[in-house]
Amino acid sequence: MKETPLSNVERDFLLAAIRSGKRIDGRDTYDYRNIKITFGLERGCCEVQLGQTRVLAQVSCEAVEPRNARPTEGQLYLNLELSPMASPGFEPGRLSEYGVELNRLLERCLKDSRAVDMESLCIVAGEKVWQIRVDVHVLNHDGSILDCGSIAAIAALSHFRRPDVTVVGETVTIHTPEDRDPVPLSVHHMPVCISFAFFEQGKYLLVDPTFKEESVMEGNMVMAMNAHRELCTVQMTGGMLLLKDQILRCSQIAVIKVAEVTELIKKALSNDAKARSEGKKCGYAESLPRRRITTSVAEPQRVDTTKSVEMAQDVIDRADEPVQDLDVKSTLLDAGFRGIGEGAANTWLIPDAENEVEEDEDEMEDADEEEEVDAMDDGTSDVAARRNQTSVSQTRVAEGYHSDSSEEAETVTLNEEVLGGYKRPPVDPSADLDLSVALKTSQIVSSTSGPPAKKKTKRKGKKNK
Amino acid sequence: MESSDMNDSGLRTAGSEQNLLSRPDGSATFTQGDTSVMAAVYGPADVRQNKEIIDRATVEVIYKPKSGMPGIREKSKEQLIRNTCETVILTAMHPRSSITIVTQEVQDSGALLACCINASCMALMDAGVPMKCLVAAVTCMLDSEERLVLDPTDKQAKDALCLATFAFDSTNKKVVTSTFQGSCTMQQYQSLLASCQTASQKVFDFYRTSAERRLAKS
Amino acid sequence: MAPPREETVESKSSENLRVLPGDDLSDVFISTRGSKFRLGPGLRQEGETVVACKCGILRKKEPNDVFWIDNHQKRYVPVKGETVLGIVVGKAGDVFKVDIGGSVPATLSYLAFEGATKRNRPNVAIGDVVFGRLLVANRDMEPELVCMDSAGRSGGLGIMSDGGFMFQCSLGLVRKMLSPKCTLVKQLGQVMPVELAAGMNGRIWLRGKTVSSTITAMNAISSAEFMTESEIRLMVHRLQDSVSGMWSGIS
Repeated sequence: MKETPLSNVERDFLLAAIRSGKRIDGRDTYDYRNIKITFGLERGCCEVQLGQTRVLAQVSCEAVEPRNARPTEGQLYLNLELSPMASPGFEPGRLSEYGVELNRLLERCLKDSRAVDMESLCIVAGEKVWQIRVDVHVLNHDGSILDCGSIAAIAALSHFRRPDVTVVGETVTIHTPEDRDPVPLSVHHMPVCISFAFFEQGKYLLVDPTFKEESVMEGNMVMAMNAHRELCTVQMTGGMLLLKDQILRCSQIAVIKVAEVTELIKKALSNDAKARSEGKKCGYAESLPRRRITTSVAEPQRVDTTKSVEMAQDVIDRADEPVQDLDVKSTLLDAGFRGIGEGAANTWLIPDAENEVEEDEDEMEDADEEEEVDAMDDGTSDVAARRNQTSVSQTRVAEGYHSDSSEEAETVTLNEEVLGGYKRPPVDPSADLDLSVALKTSQIVSSTSGPPAKKKTKRKGKKNK
Repeated sequence: MESSDMNDSGLRTAGSEQNLLSRPDGSATFTQGDTSVMAAVYGPADVRQNKEIIDRATVEVIYKPKSGMPGIREKSKEQLIRNTCETVILTAMHPRSSITIVTQEVQDSGALLACCINASCMALMDAGVPMKCLVAAVTCMLDSEERLVLDPTDKQAKDALCLATFAFDSTNKKVVTSTFQGSCTMQQYQSLLASCQTASQKVFDFYRTSAERRLAKS
Repeated sequence: MAPPREETVESKSSENLRVLPGDDLSDVFISTRGSKFRLGPGLRQEGETVVACKCGILRKKEPNDVFWIDNHQKRYVPVKGETVLGIVVGKAGDVFKVDIGGSVPATLSYLAFEGATKRNRPNVAIGDVVFGRLLVANRDMEPELVCMDSAGRSGGLGIMSDGGFMFQCSLGLVRKMLSPKCTLVKQLGQVMPVELAAGMNGRIWLRGKTVSSTITAMNAISSAEFMTESEIRLMVHRLQDSVSGMWSGIS
């Protein structure tokens, strides 16, 4: 799907607003949007909302063979998904250039800064190590995906518990959660990305740009930092030059923001730990904002299933009864056309049908018809044989076209190319067009208007050439 | 809520939030107990040339698992949701366009497919996609003692003899989709179906209350 | 939990009924039997019955008894005769391609502006916002936009130039804003003068005297989606207080 284009009006206004130090959501230049961190029921599941931007992260682990170069270290694998849910411009499946850039940045932020201790993930040196996988799903894209994603990823990693392992001699036991309490990962520090957007050669600077602001910015800078004021990653994109002072100023802003965010993550983690230890309910179902008008919650509901047994017996009893009267209704669509069932006929291209008459009949309705149809299904040799029987000039081949619809109509197109040497009698020019008839039944019998003996033709399930 | 009485089972706490994402045309989360799914709908939107259908809209479903890459299992789930939704969407009203449904697993604690279908239906409602009627899915199973359990949790589903998910339309409560794992007698199958059908009314009631709440101020 | 259908129908008038897709509304139309009525968006006839196909509120438009369903949709489906705000995305020969939020871009002939001739082409650049009326809109054809009425006058339509801002909201909000019952725009105008164009495709263009008044008006409008009339009044009052407070603070 296409992204809605940005109009000149919006671009000019946004830039004018930034020049006068205002933002359309009422924030100041250095303000962050509201951050909401929610942990899921499962360990290592975390959803972060940064204004309208939403990201879901899930950590999972698996015991794998280590890399030859580092036999005593575990592995950390990061996967950032730009789900089409987040923006109509994101394609499902393959990762876009933008997606690769974000993924790599997140990897640099978490992996290359050695935020998670890798050596403690070793089970048996050179044989088995833990592979930690972090899936970060972008659910709604309203700018600063990376800020949101890095918070979600590091919070999820801190929240995650891996199964405990004991090694006795050669045997390795991975304990189930019931058997032994799972152990947390050792997270050394919490790097958090902060995005800056620059306008007019770095003259104006915004923290935490929204989607609209990102689409008019000249360049941006992402700075990853932890609470110890250690810089983990710096990345600049866009064609602009910055002064040393500007970068230093950004780092000072980042120090403050990172301290705030880290505080928030720790608070969310301790709240969750408290809720879990007290045995309270946690997870998303609990975190629904119940006061909103768009939200509703229903208490558990009992369903009386006592009658289901009787109903079931009733259905079965009825199924045993022989079918009395099969009431097949067919409707006359046009001269020579009949429709059975619900599939509606395409009324667009029905020709005047002077020479071509289509008859479709339900197999169950007419035993003779069924025979006819079965015979034709036998294969092309049969069709060929029959073709020889009848006069060549009357033969028609219906080229079937299978639509991929699950439930309805199949379209059959009579195609002139396949008429093979047959010379058409002069007909209405509209009849030269492909004749499309949508029918409920998959069996189509095409016949001439002549005597029934000349009935012919059919091949189905072939795509148009 | 998990009752030991044979014929007295029920649905877990249901919850939903609509219009929670700003970018898609319609969105909803649906929770059943702890199971939670988020769904987003785009449409009727532009369609890729090779997927264009001349007289109706193309319905596409993307299912995203929470961890790992989507595989065959996810593809089959997509197909089930797609077929279920396409049955109720009036695709003929928007020819040569696409209706895309993206479902994201948020938490799987049993009856995930049913939750996906219900979330998709609520997102379609939110997006204002024309529909013949609504659709609701209910999961049901027989436990090791052949007792019927409605809307089972993942723990209960572990020792299921058979697990079935049915989707029903809102006008006639007729079956739209049926999936089944395991084995049982015909009698049992029919009673699973019948109890899901009864339970589906609760889901439809929930749809109505949430819609009434949402429209209360307009 | 939900009240039975019949009860709702009896207790309330046929209007403002909350409906879900698949609801049989034949009962509502029994009262109007005999007289002619029309089915608008969201309603369709199924044999002898009238069925809703969208989730929303049943509304009735008086002059010719048109029934339709009002909802909070975001995606626009072009309707003939409606005014919309579009973004010019390209030029193709004699027409501009305009994104109006529908499934396909609309066409806008360069002759469809006031005073435009073959020689005197309007000055339209890609990315410009145009306020136009839909001349052709049906599901089987590309929608066509014009920026003048049948007499050749612009009547307020045309390119939105000289600043202002455009934002997206739900279609329901635009309809709510434009309905004669709603006083949002009127009240807002008393607090701060704004120039405003609302497209039925959920896009609103507005221009205040200053950047900040434009931003304030925009946020006031977009927050009014789930508000009742009295809540809107309260919101605008509060706005007035804060605006006057802001100004007195500055002076």
